[in-house]
Amino acid sequence: MLTFLVRRVAAGLVLLYVLATTAFAMMSLTGSDAARNIAGNLATPAQIAVKKHELGLDRPWIEQYAQWLGHAVRGDFGTSWFGGDSVSESLVLKAPVSLSIVVAGLLLATVLSVVLGVAAAVRRGWLDRVVQATAIVGYAVPSFLMALMLSATLAVQLRWLPATGYVPLADSPSGWLQSITLPAISLAIGAIAATAQQVRGSVIDVLRQDFVRTLRSRGMSERRVLFRHVLRNAAPPALTVLSLQFISLVGGAVVIEKVFGLPGVGSAAVTATVNGDTPLVMGVVVYLVLIVVAVNLLVDLAYGWLNPKVRVR
Amino acid sequence: MRRMVMAGVALALVAVPACNGGAGTTASATGDDTLTLSIGNAHTGWDLASAALGDNIQYYEPVFDSLVRLDTKARPRPNLATSWSYDSTRTVLTMKLRKDVRFTDGRALDATAVRKSLLHNKEGTNEAAGKLRAIDSVAAVDPRTVAIHLSAPDPQLVVNLGDPSGMIASPEDLAAKGGPVGSGPYVLDKGATTNGSTYAFTRNPHYWNPKAYPFDKIVIKNISDPTARLNALLGGQVDWARITPQTAQHAKSRGLEVQGHADSVEGLYIWDRTGRIVPALGKVKVRQALNHAFDRESIVEKLNLGYATATSQMATAGSTWYDTSLESNYTYDPAKARKLLAEAGYPHGFTVTMPDVSSVAPGQQVVMTQALEDIGIKVKVDKIPFTRLFTALQSGEYAMSWFKLQSGQPWDFIQSELAKGAAWNPAKDFDPKLNSMIDKAQRAQGAAQTAAFREINAYLQDHAFNAPWDVLDAVQGNSKKIKVTPRAFVSAVPIYDMAPAG
Repeated sequence: MLTFLVRRVAAGLVLLYVLATTAFAMMSLTGSDAARNIAGNLATPAQIAVKKHELGLDRPWIEQYAQWLGHAVRGDFGTSWFGGDSVSESLVLKAPVSLSIVVAGLLLATVLSVVLGVAAAVRRGWLDRVVQATAIVGYAVPSFLMALMLSATLAVQLRWLPATGYVPLADSPSGWLQSITLPAISLAIGAIAATAQQVRGSVIDVLRQDFVRTLRSRGMSERRVLFRHVLRNAAPPALTVLSLQFISLVGGAVVIEKVFGLPGVGSAAVTATVNGDTPLVMGVVVYLVLIVVAVNLLVDLAYGWLNPKVRVR
Repeated sequence: MRRMVMAGVALALVAVPACNGGAGTTASATGDDTLTLSIGNAHTGWDLASAALGDNIQYYEPVFDSLVRLDTKARPRPNLATSWSYDSTRTVLTMKLRKDVRFTDGRALDATAVRKSLLHNKEGTNEAAGKLRAIDSVAAVDPRTVAIHLSAPDPQLVVNLGDPSGMIASPEDLAAKGGPVGSGPYVLDKGATTNGSTYAFTRNPHYWNPKAYPFDKIVIKNISDPTARLNALLGGQVDWARITPQTAQHAKSRGLEVQGHADSVEGLYIWDRTGRIVPALGKVKVRQALNHAFDRESIVEKLNLGYATATSQMATAGSTWYDTSLESNYTYDPAKARKLLAEAGYPHGFTVTMPDVSSVAPGQQVVMTQALEDIGIKVKVDKIPFTRLFTALQSGEYAMSWFKLQSGQPWDFIQSELAKGAAWNPAKDFDPKLNSMIDKAQRAQGAAQTAAFREINAYLQDHAFNAPWDVLDAVQGNSKKIKVTPRAFVSAVPIYDMAPAG
């Protein structure tokens, strides 16, 4: 198990290095003109040149990257070129916002997709058809559109929930819940649709297997068969879909944070990329890759727990 | 049972937040004594040397006081400086300072502090610093008097001292490493502030002019997405925000106040007036033809939904150098445009490559391309990313393009588009006559200076430097609980021009 873990962590670090290098190269070679954006529209070419020199943008990108990497491995991600804030501190402030909506979205997706998927598989008939049709619609509607619709109706029209902004959990638990509800629902709908279908399919497959028939013939109750045996066997494929959905939720959060004016990592990533704020973009890249690697590791561990044969590989 | 569980989960997810009182009450945190603003631009830090202008001035205004205050017509009025005067060469500006003003760190605001702060602000590379370019040195004549020495007369300097360029920070922490230290009406409430998203300010109990700021608390939220900004306004979470002409009607119908005020001159900007890239543009008749190609009234009504004012001159209506009589010179007349092109030797028009601006001005791109094709000019649209647009234009890659610049203050406009070395003069110094006119205006004063600027405006129109269509409005919405008086020629509204309604 330890070798398995070490291998996974090493693969994660390689992925982090490759993605960070690619991101830095892309920011440097095709990114926007940060010096000009900082200096403003009325800056003269001479002023822009001074700013470029100040930021080190007049040096080859590989040299800039080596310097960034040297600091990054020591945990120093520098300061944002625009706000002047420490990138690490900025991410510490923004990460709870993004994690709140992503984790809440994932929990929502997990609970609802399992409930809907299992109900559709067990009940079949009209419920199955409704779940499938709803899933197709849910999957087809982009999360940003869902966000705009929810915001326009529940927040702006009815004023049930805030249209924008984030309240930290420590400040007000109810305010926090209100501020993340609509973004989390917007994010979760696509994931619910995809995962519910997967759960439904897996449960139907397992229900058709011989061991289920055997268990039933022994007089085991339907509930026990379902919760003790069927769900455990149907879980791994659903877990795979959920882990992929998590990555997709992290990506979706970028747009959702914009729509709801949330000061999260995604929102910062968009602004920083447009402005060409390389230190902040790189900080966000490292943060996101680490999250994705960690989640994949957790999923692998969960697989191992569910199916000991996996650990041998 | 299963049905009950499912229903319970669904109900809990939807109902729990609503049971907490609903966002309509709690999220609308703006009591009568709190003013909540939403700004699209990100904050660029508290060091005034790196201050941006435009909407960003609202970030600085609560904590830093400025030497002068600009009234709603952008005229300078006494503030930290109680009076000022120029010497006969107009290169030394002497300002008398208010007594008994203290920074929030307890230090006195005196001539030495003003000197250090101005010189620090000037050293930056952002917009506020750019407005102080003419300053050579600053002398503290006595504790209440500063003398600002200029390398050449700057007709705009006193007005610029009403913006972050002229805001004064404590000399002990000019770089504002630990946060802003000024003498403004408010202090930053660090506990309620989240850098990059929400900035909260509470009253500075020692401020000398508290009546000018009726709100006890200011909250500024950075919301970059225009839809989210509008939703925050409609949802009652903020009291004021910049919105777009396209959403103005919706905002009005939901009971908000909507105002538009003159901001920037929009149109076809001709960068290659020497004809280096497109020889035809070197001929004045060709440039004049371009001015007859646009149906300005239609652009104002259909494209900008009335939130603009048609114009054919570069000066903004209401500014000192605006001349109503010039408005009839370039009417919409495609036939006349074709005739002028023929007289210039281009009876079949010519081809020009222009940068893609569809990401910021999609309607304008369509209208502009069609209008030019109507008079025989073929447009090739070059697909470049918007992030590279400004650099490409400034480095002279394109002969002309859609663009907009502020022109409410003549000297500012001259410095940004006409002067040698100006950011938006990629053709550089090409017109000696214009330069001598600029030189004359720079050294004149009073009515003579106004007349000189008007002459420049007429010259720009006569020689068809650009083909302006309209003065675009900065559109802003606010809740009816506050009263807002926009300041002319700037997109942002100063906080001191906002007050509780009634």
